[in-house]
Amino acid sequence: MISKVLKYSFAITVVFPIVFLLGLSLAQQWQFPEILPQEWTFQHWGNSLFKQGDILESLFLSLGLSLTLASLVSVLAFFMSKYIAYSKHRQLYMRLTLVPYILSPVVLAVIFQYYFTVANLSGNFIGVLIAQLFFALPFGIVIFNNFWNAHLKSIEQLSFTLGASSRQSLLKVILPLSKPAIVLCFFQSFLVSWFEYGLTQFIGLGKVKTLTVMVFNFINEANVFYAAVACVMLILPPIILLYLNKKVLILAR
Amino acid sequence: MKLKLYPVLIKLLFGLLIVLPLVAGLSYALSYSLGLSGLLTKGFTLDYWLKALMSKSLWMSFLYSLSIGLVSVVISLCIAVSMALSWNKSIQQGRFSYFIFLPLCFPATVMAFLVLQWLSPSGWFSRIAFELGFIHSLNDFPNVVRDFYGIGIIFCSVLLITPFFTILMSNIYRNENLLELEKLSKTLGASSRKTLRRVTLPILFKKSKMTLLLFVIFVMSSYEVPLILGRQYPQMVSVAIVQKIQKFNLDDIPLGFAMSVLYALLVILVLVVFGKPSRKYLKPNIK
Repeated sequence: MISKVLKYSFAITVVFPIVFLLGLSLAQQWQFPEILPQEWTFQHWGNSLFKQGDILESLFLSLGLSLTLASLVSVLAFFMSKYIAYSKHRQLYMRLTLVPYILSPVVLAVIFQYYFTVANLSGNFIGVLIAQLFFALPFGIVIFNNFWNAHLKSIEQLSFTLGASSRQSLLKVILPLSKPAIVLCFFQSFLVSWFEYGLTQFIGLGKVKTLTVMVFNFINEANVFYAAVACVMLILPPIILLYLNKKVLILAR
Repeated sequence: MKLKLYPVLIKLLFGLLIVLPLVAGLSYALSYSLGLSGLLTKGFTLDYWLKALMSKSLWMSFLYSLSIGLVSVVISLCIAVSMALSWNKSIQQGRFSYFIFLPLCFPATVMAFLVLQWLSPSGWFSRIAFELGFIHSLNDFPNVVRDFYGIGIIFCSVLLITPFFTILMSNIYRNENLLELEKLSKTLGASSRKTLRRVTLPILFKKSKMTLLLFVIFVMSSYEVPLILGRQYPQMVSVAIVQKIQKFNLDDIPLGFAMSVLYALLVILVLVVFGKPSRKYLKPNIK
């Protein structure tokens, strides 16, 4: 009984932030000490999505950036991690991979910024994408690290023995088996990019206005209602992805 | 030809995308901090490094970040272990598992914004306290956001990392067959308390050591959370580095770069000394 009550309390606690953000995004006036907003409105949503459209623009920019990065990381990490797993120097490769992964993205941004300015990559989409790739690719390799095992290697070798070419083995054997790992890597890399602020702000110079950058801008302007709208948009795709990802992983098994 | 080209291409990609940016970035930061490059370059000097190493605020930043990282990880670990042990089956499957995963959808920026809206003097909890008669004005509400002890930062970090730890502990519990080990321990006469202390907790801790260390570093180097919930002094290390480099005072820039190199070296050193990646993690799977 106690366990059930605790479980329901936990579920309510977890859902509460979403309800709170939605409430804040629909609030017109919410002065102290009122617990609930005094006035409700759809104006902030209407302005953000249709009239000014700046948050909607940021949403599409963030989606474009995160989806491109996730695709790039999934493809590159897949092939690179396979090579690393079969390499004699796997230990060295993995240690080197861990270094950018453990350093703060904002510290990386600070030390990269000079080169991005020189290469004219500061303040634009491509620059931010490349900077995020430097940080997310090691993460992708770490995700794939334990996927390449002896069992998979023996299946690949068996396909060669049965007369498959490298291309056939990759397309017909390895890729279908790798589906859960690729989906996981895609999902995680998407989230790394989607949640990123420091690196995007510094390399993007505030001109690449992703949703996280917008949230900060609204907080600095003390515009909490619009910040809440941006926050709701920021948490929505991960929630959808989480739902899809769990389903895909269960199906893949 | 194809077979030879493939490893070269992968090595080239690894060098270009992982090693080169890091080496180039750290070299630039190092040369800037040694006076060899930058706007105020005067030739080789150790002045900025001496200044950085003698700076009380720099060590305060490191210590402050480390203590916030440690406290956050310890609190999260306690909550996560309790949840993983109590709800192990529900965490792995069923509708309840979605509730465990749900907080992972919140970026640090959103969580920090929420904590600010909840815990600030005019925040939601303050309003509830006012309505219940615990406080009589805004100023009566305890200062837990932008406070000296970083309570707001710790609270936010705990909210962010506890779901990770819960899933991690639950996975270890399942993969290491801890349920069977616990049963065996009890059959051999150990009490529930003793089983927890001598069997369950040591295994959970041993298997998650490296991840816990990575999370201490993750909290230490967080930027968005202290930017929203922190204060000017003491500052978390990432915020301190960025402020030094972004300031209008050009003399502070080499100091900021010295701090960033020092921070990178300290993180690598901590990992080498305390967090040697486990053999299982680095052991080649393919023979």
